[in-house]
Amino acid sequence: MDAAMAPGPVPEKRPRAPKKSGAGEVSMRWRLAVASRVLAAVIGGYLLASLASVCLAYFLPLLFQSSRAEAAVLSMTLSFLFYLPAVLWCFACRTALRAWLGLLVPSAVLGAVYGCARWLV
Amino acid sequence: MLLATLLCYAGFTALCLSMNRHAEDLLGAALSGARSRAARWLGWVVLALSLWVALVSLSVGQALVQWFAALMGSAFVLVFVMSYWPRLAVSLAAIGAVLCPVAACIQLLA
Amino acid sequence: MKEGFRQAMAWLHTWAGLVFGWLLFAIFLTGTLSYFKEEITQWTQPEIVPHEVSDAVAAERGQQWLQANAPDAKRWFIRLPDERNPDIALTYSPANGGFERKSLDSVSGQPVQGRESMGGEFFYRFHFQLQMPHPWGRWLASVAAMVMFVALISGIITHKKIFKEFFTFRPRKGQRTWLDGHNAVAVLILPFHLMITYSSLVIFMTMVMPASILTTYGSNTSAFFDDLFPAFKSAPPVSETAPLASIVPMLEVAAQKWDGARVGLITVNNPGKANATVALGSNGADHIPHEPGTSLVFNGVTGELTQQSSMTAASLLLAGGMYGLHMGHFAGTLLRWLYFFAGIGGTAMIATGLVIWLGKRRLKHAKSGVLPFELKLVEMLNVASMSGLMLAVVSFFWANRMLPVSLAARSDWEVKTFFCIWGLALLHAFGRVFFRDGRTAWREQLILAAALYCLLPVLDMLTAGSYLWGSIRQGQWTLAALDLTALATGIFLAWGAFRFRGEGQSVIASKLTPTGSSRKQDSRQTLTGGSELAREGVSEGTTVQEAR
Repeated sequence: MDAAMAPGPVPEKRPRAPKKSGAGEVSMRWRLAVASRVLAAVIGGYLLASLASVCLAYFLPLLFQSSRAEAAVLSMTLSFLFYLPAVLWCFACRTALRAWLGLLVPSAVLGAVYGCARWLV
Repeated sequence: MLLATLLCYAGFTALCLSMNRHAEDLLGAALSGARSRAARWLGWVVLALSLWVALVSLSVGQALVQWFAALMGSAFVLVFVMSYWPRLAVSLAAIGAVLCPVAACIQLLA
Repeated sequence: MKEGFRQAMAWLHTWAGLVFGWLLFAIFLTGTLSYFKEEITQWTQPEIVPHEVSDAVAAERGQQWLQANAPDAKRWFIRLPDERNPDIALTYSPANGGFERKSLDSVSGQPVQGRESMGGEFFYRFHFQLQMPHPWGRWLASVAAMVMFVALISGIITHKKIFKEFFTFRPRKGQRTWLDGHNAVAVLILPFHLMITYSSLVIFMTMVMPASILTTYGSNTSAFFDDLFPAFKSAPPVSETAPLASIVPMLEVAAQKWDGARVGLITVNNPGKANATVALGSNGADHIPHEPGTSLVFNGVTGELTQQSSMTAASLLLAGGMYGLHMGHFAGTLLRWLYFFAGIGGTAMIATGLVIWLGKRRLKHAKSGVLPFELKLVEMLNVASMSGLMLAVVSFFWANRMLPVSLAARSDWEVKTFFCIWGLALLHAFGRVFFRDGRTAWREQLILAAALYCLLPVLDMLTAGSYLWGSIRQGQWTLAALDLTALATGIFLAWGAFRFRGEGQSVIASKLTPTGSSRKQDSRQTLTGGSELAREGVSEGTTVQEAR
């Protein structure tokens, strides 16, 4: 995308989204980083979207006058609005590790919130 | 819906004329600063007016669907006509503006 | 971070668009055709002539036939005819499982005598099942939908000058024109693209995102559907039998309750048993949201109304509304044509994107004139998935007119023709791209496709002319409209083939030099990339110096 960008440093250490090295070759390391981001987007994103919809489906009937079927429908409908930013994040963040963390941490939080609400409260 | 569509086209044409590069193509010269701003305001107002016209004549759902269709259709027609026959694009907007009262009568009577 | 973000989105848009572009082109094209699937079916079965028949008469005929031929079925479905569906479509589940279908002529009440063909249903089903075994096709289509959503949003983010270049289209400027065109069909029809893409996710959401159903209902997922559609709950049949009441009076109750909206689907559970029920669903053409939960349920023996349900919950109207917008059942003729053209726009958006992807990278190899393997692969797939698919579509129609009417399994043969031609197009593309050049592949396939599309009306007149003229005399323009659309498509493809005439070198040369424009912006974007270009992202890129 940007041969004109900062030359020099090893591709993965540059504070940018995945890019090739200036010479125009694609290193194995870069390929693995991209693959990692793709996996994070697909799996991590799905996990985050599912957990978001599970939380919505749980809390909506408590907050509004909706039956659990209606809440499930609304939560599924909105789930893709969580999936999309998750995917964008995986490719916008600086490293592949951040891609995973950025999805797994919120997922864990949502899971914990749901878990506590359902089984502890 | 005819009135709303004519207004959409007119509104988009006004917005287009407020941009220097397009005004040069369509009118031969860019509009002056004040006129350009006026064209921009006019464009948005006319688009909002077309939405209102749609909403008063149909149920909300139908109105929104048909208005978006008119919006997309008129924008597409404008860009297409503008790219090959720039003067015609403006003429069409003028003709549309003239036909608006007629379309309004049709809508009121129907 | 801003620049990095936009460039990351540009990278994502480019690669997501390429990898799924070929599949999405096929999905969009067949989906666009599906807006006229009933009309296509009428064309493929010209023997079935639409008649004006009241709902009551049609329902009675359907009930009579089912009573006589499927008295032991567990469930009956009767789809009443309307402006776009000339026949009475019956479905019933026989005791040994599965589903049987039958079409009745609306006047005679007898099974229709039309050539066996899937008609428009073929394109419709391909559109979301991709001819793959259940449920893999739907999953793949849903994945493609999510990638489409990502590509749309990343494209919007990347298109920095989305407002400034809203009205911009500069013809006859090579790569720049292709990019302007891609932006134009994307931005000007953006509401449609966003609606279609998001709604396609919503349509299969219970399959792809079931987590909330599972956590709310556990393993009892059927309870979820029963909660949503209480009218469709069907009890197992009791052994006691009782004659089924006539459905006709029930239609009158529906006309009253529904204020003029018509009945579309009649569902009979346990016909002939003591606990038979009849559920009436409204015709989708009368309202925007898809509302399977809006129904009237009657006792099948006494004929009295037992349950009236409607979907008024906001969440159900939201999901149903999206479903309804995607399907467009509610659309009248004008709006349906607009849906069709919007779909063509979406298809063109994907097509231009694929062409641009290759075109940009091809410029780098202009001097050597030889493309590396990967780019040849992309070119081959571009040709096969676009002009190849156009060939396959028209060959389906040719097969419909040319295969003998009484041929066994002729419907399967029509489908086989579609896929065989598509496969041959792939082979041809392979041969030409790898052993000659891509232009030849495009040119030859486009010429053939143009010929087949333009000659389709002629074929129709020669093989089924009596039906064509008969329908016109009766004031029904469906058959003629399809022929004319085919002709228009053929002319467009011929123009495309004309553009690919001759050798490619002169075209590449013209892409390198700026064509005379006095505007400052244009001269800025040519030969030298530079930081200016990097900052402006993909939307300004026309130069040779495009890094990947």
